[in-house]
Amino acid sequence: MALSFKLLDSIFLSSRCHRQNALHPLLGPLLTDCIPKLYSSYRRPGTSPDNTPPWKMNFSFEKGVDGIKKHFGILKKELVDHWKGPEGYPLEEYLLEQTRVVWEFRSQKDLDEWVVSSDVEIGGKSEAYLKLGKNNQTALLYGTLNTEAPRDGETEYSGYCAMRAKLPKGAFEKKKYYDWSNFNSLYLRIRGDGRPWMINIYTNPYFSHQKDDLYNYFIFTRGGPYWQEIKIPFSKFFLSSRGRIQDDQHPLWLDKISTVGFTLGDKADGPFQLEIDFIGLLNDRAHTEEFAYEKYERNPKV
Amino acid sequence: MNCVRKLLLARELSAGRGILRQAAPGRDLPWLQESSCAQGFWPVPVRSIRSGAALSRSDLVPSARGDKEKDRGSRDGALVPFDELFERACKEDRNKASFSRAVELFCQRDIRRRGHIEFINAALRKMPEFGVERELDVYNKILDVFPKEVFVPRNFIQRMFNYYPRQQECGIHVLEQMENYGIMPNKQTKFLLLQIFGEKSHPVRKYQRLMYWFPKFKHANPYPVPAALPQDPVDLARFSLQRIAADLSAKVTVYQMPLTDILDDGKEITQPHIVGIQSPDQQELLACHNPARPVFVEGPFPLWLKKTCVYYYVLRGEPLPPEEKEEVIDSERNFYYPMQLDLDLDRDLWDNEEFYVDEVEEGPIFAMCMAGAGDQATLAKWILGLQQTNPILSQTPVVFHLTPGPRELQVDLDSESGEEEIPQSWHAKQEL
Repeated sequence: MALSFKLLDSIFLSSRCHRQNALHPLLGPLLTDCIPKLYSSYRRPGTSPDNTPPWKMNFSFEKGVDGIKKHFGILKKELVDHWKGPEGYPLEEYLLEQTRVVWEFRSQKDLDEWVVSSDVEIGGKSEAYLKLGKNNQTALLYGTLNTEAPRDGETEYSGYCAMRAKLPKGAFEKKKYYDWSNFNSLYLRIRGDGRPWMINIYTNPYFSHQKDDLYNYFIFTRGGPYWQEIKIPFSKFFLSSRGRIQDDQHPLWLDKISTVGFTLGDKADGPFQLEIDFIGLLNDRAHTEEFAYEKYERNPKV
Repeated sequence: MNCVRKLLLARELSAGRGILRQAAPGRDLPWLQESSCAQGFWPVPVRSIRSGAALSRSDLVPSARGDKEKDRGSRDGALVPFDELFERACKEDRNKASFSRAVELFCQRDIRRRGHIEFINAALRKMPEFGVERELDVYNKILDVFPKEVFVPRNFIQRMFNYYPRQQECGIHVLEQMENYGIMPNKQTKFLLLQIFGEKSHPVRKYQRLMYWFPKFKHANPYPVPAALPQDPVDLARFSLQRIAADLSAKVTVYQMPLTDILDDGKEITQPHIVGIQSPDQQELLACHNPARPVFVEGPFPLWLKKTCVYYYVLRGEPLPPEEKEEVIDSERNFYYPMQLDLDLDRDLWDNEEFYVDEVEEGPIFAMCMAGAGDQATLAKWILGLQQTNPILSQTPVVFHLTPGPRELQVDLDSESGEEEIPQSWHAKQEL
């Protein structure tokens, strides 16, 4: 009973949320080619839409079997975790924990949980790569930034490089969210080269018009050979949509976090690098601020 | 009275529309002129789409032109009609004075400021060329080009339907360029915007947003970089080294001043600058270093200070192998427990704020330097200078791991500069 409910739930959720991947939950394990499309819905001006009919996509029976195995494995783990306690932690541990490491970078497997992108998607010329750092201990995000805008008649600015964690997925591609409501700060251990970065948090878009909403804040790196430990309270994050900071701000919903990402776009052409040790969460009890920006309506409507 | 004014407005509008069409080829492609290498370049096919409109302008508005048309000279062929205005204004050199002269020239030409949108767009594009992209009064001057009180909506219907949208967009463009260069508008900007577009128009809203968010993030950077970096390379090196050292007690030493000298036999010698930094902690670490193990000079590593990139070199040791690490004797194997008392009495079970991750193991850093040249001879001088304060360094072998510097990188990617002893792991280390 529980299983069929889960299945139904996943199908319903996924088909509602992914327009272009409506077929995905059913054929998901069988489709091998359409994964990259998940990460970007942007289509460059001048290119034609991809209208490949579903029967011409790559089907592979072997991968389908693998996928079914994988998904049932995840489903089993979810059910067991649910029995253990919230999010698979025992209850007393869950209540007492003050810190949590969400992402660490110690092997290639950890890097595979991240997606690197740059303005090549929109026709720009920046490059970004992710690899393991020295001694295979950290993640090194490197590349070159190029602010030359593509000549497609619409794009005005260019020059960004970004890295983002993959969306958490439950069994049968069901969307999952991180619940970070026990914590109030983000904690990063990084080493940059003096460039300012932006950290983006993507939350569950409840309505489809919120799908471009991001919560951002800055990471200022000092540069040099020493590691830097950065603590950013969640109250400092401000809301932006499509790169524009919004008028009505409201605090981040910590129980509906989808992913975290880093963006570089400081308009300085040249090489860059950012080394990340780990990304964690911290409950800083000295920090009591709820939201750093005014929540009242500042620009009253006419 | 009102009626007459509206008639005048209507006429003005029709004339203005004629001009808009005429300038259309240039107007639609500001992005092209913005990219630095695209000056003067123009693909033909896109332009030919609009040429029909450009040709038909003469019969659309014959009366609106006049003798003013003549002094524009050969502007039918010109892609951006107002670029030549700037070319004419800067006979001697491109600076703030010649830029404002061009703006004044435009303002004097026509009391109705026809074609002001095209002019403003051209001016915004030209600003970096004239080096005035960070001057607030120049932006105010550009906003001053807009005719006043014409675009202010006067009833609720006008207010509802986005009154004069192109003009408002243009005003937003000006503010956006200010935003991109980090220029905070002032009272005069607000006054001008209110006069031109009226309150609650889009440009005024944009202004309000700028004024709200700019001061919020003005001091967000804990490691600020001054707007104008020091010109002298030694001062710049001192500033950057103090920034990356992350230690206020670190001491900067100038080992060599930059010098260009001509010897008696006509040979020219140049001495690059060498500036180093070492903190007492680093000195202590180096003193504890086992002289049998080599230390490494690594670099160049980039450091970005806003838009300039400087390079630094690091003297570091290897991470200690596991057998040389000091073993911590825990309480169960120690007769004299506790060796040191470490009581956190105010800590409780839920006060543990440590992260459970494996430590990143890296070699200690002993000193950092910045030099005018990245070759081994220059850096060896730095090591010689360091030996005076760290006598142990004279007994320790020093290995140079130098990646080709930024200048050599452009010439030949494969050339690798000096290595004294060749470590095996050197190829794995890729400096970017």
